[in-house]
Amino acid sequence: MATCKVCGSELPKKAKSCPQCGVKVYQPPKNIRVLAIVGAVLAIIGGLLPFVQNSDIKVKAKDCFSFMSYLNNDKYEFTYHQYLWYFFMLALVATCIIVAAKKEIYSIITTVIAVVIYGITMKDLSTFMADPQYVLGVGTYVVVIGLIVAIAGCFLDILKFKKTIEYDTRYMKNHKPFASRVYVHRWFYLMMVPVLIFVLLFNYWPMLGIRYAFTDYIKLPVYAGLKHFVKMATKDTYFWLAFKNTLTLSIIKLFLNTFMAVVISLLLHEITNIHFKKTVQTIIYLPHFLSWVVVAAIFRMLLSTGESGIVNQILISMNVIEEPVFWMGETSTWRPVFYIINIWKDTGWGTILFLATLSGISPELYEAAQIDGANRWNRMCYITLPALANTIITVFILNLAKVMNLFESVFVLMNDAVIEVSSVIQTYIYMQSFGGGIPNYGYTTAVGLFKSLVGCVLVLACDYASKKVRGRGIV
Amino acid sequence: MSNTNKKTKKVKAFPIVNAIIFILISLIILLPLWKVLVDSLDAAPGYGMRLWPNNLSINGYKLIVTRTALYRPFLISCLVTVVGCVMGLLLSTLGAYVLIQWNMPGRNLFAYMLLFTMIFNGGMIPTYLVMNQLKLLNTLWAVLLPLSINVYNLVLMRNFFEGIPQSLFEAAEIDGCSPIGIFIKIVLPLSKAALASIGLMFAVTFWNDYTNFKLYVTKNSLYNFQMKLRSLIMDSDVPQNNDKVSDNTIQNAAIIVAIIPFMIIYPICQDYFVQGVNVGAVKE
Repeated sequence: MATCKVCGSELPKKAKSCPQCGVKVYQPPKNIRVLAIVGAVLAIIGGLLPFVQNSDIKVKAKDCFSFMSYLNNDKYEFTYHQYLWYFFMLALVATCIIVAAKKEIYSIITTVIAVVIYGITMKDLSTFMADPQYVLGVGTYVVVIGLIVAIAGCFLDILKFKKTIEYDTRYMKNHKPFASRVYVHRWFYLMMVPVLIFVLLFNYWPMLGIRYAFTDYIKLPVYAGLKHFVKMATKDTYFWLAFKNTLTLSIIKLFLNTFMAVVISLLLHEITNIHFKKTVQTIIYLPHFLSWVVVAAIFRMLLSTGESGIVNQILISMNVIEEPVFWMGETSTWRPVFYIINIWKDTGWGTILFLATLSGISPELYEAAQIDGANRWNRMCYITLPALANTIITVFILNLAKVMNLFESVFVLMNDAVIEVSSVIQTYIYMQSFGGGIPNYGYTTAVGLFKSLVGCVLVLACDYASKKVRGRGIV
Repeated sequence: MSNTNKKTKKVKAFPIVNAIIFILISLIILLPLWKVLVDSLDAAPGYGMRLWPNNLSINGYKLIVTRTALYRPFLISCLVTVVGCVMGLLLSTLGAYVLIQWNMPGRNLFAYMLLFTMIFNGGMIPTYLVMNQLKLLNTLWAVLLPLSINVYNLVLMRNFFEGIPQSLFEAAEIDGCSPIGIFIKIVLPLSKAALASIGLMFAVTFWNDYTNFKLYVTKNSLYNFQMKLRSLIMDSDVPQNNDKVSDNTIQNAAIIVAIIPFMIIYPICQDYFVQGVNVGAVKE
């Protein structure tokens, strides 16, 4: 939310003048920023794409990925190119972040850095472009087009920035200059350092590893182009199975858990005895704190076919089944068991938000309805459920964003006999990489990249939906 | 007349039915845990319908306490939980404190950097390769370091911090307190509830961690209790014993040991957990 520069009051969206003091408000054109970001992203994609796309060339590379360093072959030694690639990517990502953070004037610096780095590699390239073995690939063109678009976007942004400055200076007398603000906050930068180091090491460095998706990585990465993606799309049926299973398992689980949580919180809300309610809450939250390993261990024993399997024993004594059923080992029963275990573990915990919303409903509403002759059912339909609807959607959206992350719960409950109904993308990656045999990290990285991208789209879609529904994003 | 009678009866019947439903739900949740507890206290292998130990013995627990192979993972779990909790709290309070400095140049950049990690990540294999490059594989740091930077908890902490009135900061600043002084003397003491809430979340994550151990730790001597429990259950990796304790008893006792710390802590701190969830989603 923007604030008025003169009186400091909050401005409504798209306001042309401040409602408090009547000063005209400058609304910067927003769409130009997108251009710079699009250009930078295009250049990033180009940087990931192979620089030379001629499959006939046998490249003997030590450390090979897109950009140019795979040219470290016997003839040409450009060892510093991989570091250039890192800086190139870093500069482009920085451009995106800076533009998104509305500090457009600085984005030109990073973009120029990216262009300079690219220029250096192009200069080196020209020294051996005479060699007919090498052909410029699509990647080059994409990078060049991306950089041009990014620079165009940045310059347009700067023009806009100037305009903003001209307008704002009239009202920015009390605003301290940049350098003094930096100085005032010097201790905060120090406090930021540890967090920054952790985030860069464990979140951003792995992102650079995405380049392995374009290589065959058995001992060392060897450039392989889009081979893995072609394989994923056309040949690998297990991958598609895992993808389908991921969606099926997590979405059905999500529906069941949300539904059960809503029902239980509605019923729990009707309980008037506070001590009883508190005790029930304590008990139903409890399974959330058990790890998946423990839950798997408990249910493995309860559902076993042996003597300790209480479920089979009860069902046999009730004459429902004749022989003990191997619940976790049959493709027809594994999924229902998985859903039931999930409901057992997480439904109680899921009620917290619903209960918080329910306790916020004014009791006067119920009293008024009661006077009007509404019975329990009517009150639920016309007061409770509408009040709860927003929370239900919120919880649903929050969980929908996590759909692709399904791993540990499936991993500890699955076994070889039920792999066709239980294999999800994360377990597939794990099995391919660490499940014995010689792993091709390149291929599993490609699968992981696909998973991350789908997850990313889901999160952004949920964020958009969340903003529409409750006026606040999830990230 | 009969109609009104019926109505009052119906209204009174509902609370009773409701109470019965919840007693049943509670039983469904507690029964598996009770069954594990019973089986762990009985030296003989468990058989289906038994809901009370036939011959009570605590030999299963004795074995866990006396065998190095079993109590070492427990100590590792404790160590990882305590150290991880402290590191996690340190990082999330520092990050959250920086995030509430709205005037700080670079604050937004920092916020976007953190939020971006919630949207996109490198994935399992690139992270594994980074761990390999950092020479962290087969050390406890491989579990401690990546888990202690949790952006979700950091944002949660920021939500708590934003509840602290701005005037307190200004007053302290005028009195000549440095930002680090404000952090230690004002922010931390005022957010004890938040520290408890988020610290408990970290503790649960670290205690229950299986995925990171499975990925990064292959050395037997560095297994945490969850890993050990898994191999106890799946591979029947039960140590030999002469106390006539069945494998089943030891497995059940191990499950109880794995859950007992949080079964003790949780009912006491329930409100903190609940508060954490609510602040994360409901509060603006």
